[in-house]
Amino acid sequence: MNYAIETNGLSKYYGDVRAVRNVNLFVKQGEIYGFLGLNGAGKTTTIRALLGMIRPSEGNVKVLNQALGPGGRGPWGRVGHLVESPSAYPELSVRENLDVARRLNGIQNPKVVDDVIERLTLASYADRKAGTLSSGNFQRLGLARALLHEPEVLMLDEPANGLDPAGVVEIRELLKSLAQEKGVTIFMSSHILTEVDRLATRIGIIHNGRLIEELDTGKLEKLRSKHLEVQARNLKSAFINLQSAGYKPVMEDETILIGNAQAIEHPDAVAQILVDAGTPPTRLAVEQQNLEEHFMQLTGDPK
Amino acid sequence: MTRLTSALWAETLKMIRSKVPLFTALGFSMAPLAGGLFMIILKDPEAAKAMGLISAKAQLMVGVADWTAFFGFITQAVAAGGLILFSITTIWIFGREFSDHTVKELLALPTSRETIITAKFIVILAWSFAMTLLIFGVGLVVGTLVVIPGWSAELNRASFMNILGSAALTLPLMSLVAFVASVGRGYMPPFGWTIFTMVLANIAAVMGWGDWFPWAVPSMFSGAAGPQAAQLELHSYVVVILTSIIGLVATYYWWRHADQTR
Repeated sequence: MNYAIETNGLSKYYGDVRAVRNVNLFVKQGEIYGFLGLNGAGKTTTIRALLGMIRPSEGNVKVLNQALGPGGRGPWGRVGHLVESPSAYPELSVRENLDVARRLNGIQNPKVVDDVIERLTLASYADRKAGTLSSGNFQRLGLARALLHEPEVLMLDEPANGLDPAGVVEIRELLKSLAQEKGVTIFMSSHILTEVDRLATRIGIIHNGRLIEELDTGKLEKLRSKHLEVQARNLKSAFINLQSAGYKPVMEDETILIGNAQAIEHPDAVAQILVDAGTPPTRLAVEQQNLEEHFMQLTGDPK
Repeated sequence: MTRLTSALWAETLKMIRSKVPLFTALGFSMAPLAGGLFMIILKDPEAAKAMGLISAKAQLMVGVADWTAFFGFITQAVAAGGLILFSITTIWIFGREFSDHTVKELLALPTSRETIITAKFIVILAWSFAMTLLIFGVGLVVGTLVVIPGWSAELNRASFMNILGSAALTLPLMSLVAFVASVGRGYMPPFGWTIFTMVLANIAAVMGWGDWFPWAVPSMFSGAAGPQAAQLELHSYVVVILTSIIGLVATYYWWRHADQTR
């Protein structure tokens, strides 16, 4: 299968420090892949390796089915990126910064600069020097440069950094539409878990340099779904009674979980059934495990 | 070629928008202006004394007030000042990419890293050449205004070639400055390097090994290290060229292979 991004046994060591260890990533075209990890987990090192900025100590990287060559050679005309904090030449205007990027990307048509300025709502700052921009607009400039050449793959490190709440929504919608309408593959790292949760179609969690879990659409749906948690003094009987009532309970850690929409919408009916059956609930709560909890569980362990 | 043209356009725009051209041009213009002042003093030391200027120092430096001495002074200024001002240009062009964290925008592009570095070196070469022309042009204007005696077309041509030669021997040394700015990822290490090489050049010249020390060669050529230009033989030019090649190869190699973590 052809992947937009592929790593096989990617490892990067700095002396004794193992920044990234044996990471195998396979990102399909049109996917929005959320890459999560704590500070120093190896997110940026991985992104830099994906962009040919650092050479893997072991393993290899393919982008758009092309192995990255020496000197960082790769299909960069089809890849847009924003690594760590955005940067720009402070003495050049927004337009000039983008024009520099346009030329270095080998795009002849100067109109693409105006288009991307419009798209990232930077028009009123177009002739302002980049050094005078607010952090939010500086981030927009970084995103504009990444999107300038209409890339097939976008690698974005913390794309929502510095943006105000409206900006976060705007960029989320923009990225969503790029993936859905144009089939752009987006590989994004973030600390903002809710943001990743809302946007990503697949999530990878990196911890201490290792990719410790990948959550596909199914797992993410499960994670995002609500459920009714039931506890009772006689858990087994309560479980059987709920089964008999037509629910599909699941037992997990001394708690009964019910995912049926009817149970979630009418927990009072569940309570009534349990009371009538002589196994009254001691706890009844509609819960939704979120990505944050899941992430904290996974990465809470110091090693 | 299109890629190189694009990279050149980008580097030129960055250069024009910065304050580096202004400051380096001002710095270089100081030399002919100072030379003109010395000429005024030398032409009429009594008047200069009356004005409160100390003429003894000026006489020590250039001797008599004529175009030969004046051009000689400018040639020496290109050798000594060139090392500093060409270095500042190089340090800015390479070092700023690291200090402003813009280097990461130059690494994953359809335009190769080698093309970008080549464009940077071309801009350094072009600006250094422009500065050399500027110092000569300003020198001609100042010398004419001060009315220095002894101008001839032949002297003018020979002096121009000397000034160009002085710059041409200084410029190749910039490749190592570019390398140190890249490896040091910023401004300070190449500044330190420039000062270090200047100090070593002085020591080498004093100890009589200047002709073998590339950083001493430009000042020996210009006569700033004493009337020793005759001592410069083929080996002096070879060490300058070798130093340049080492710097170029190291810079290209580093940009191609080093991990870029900024």
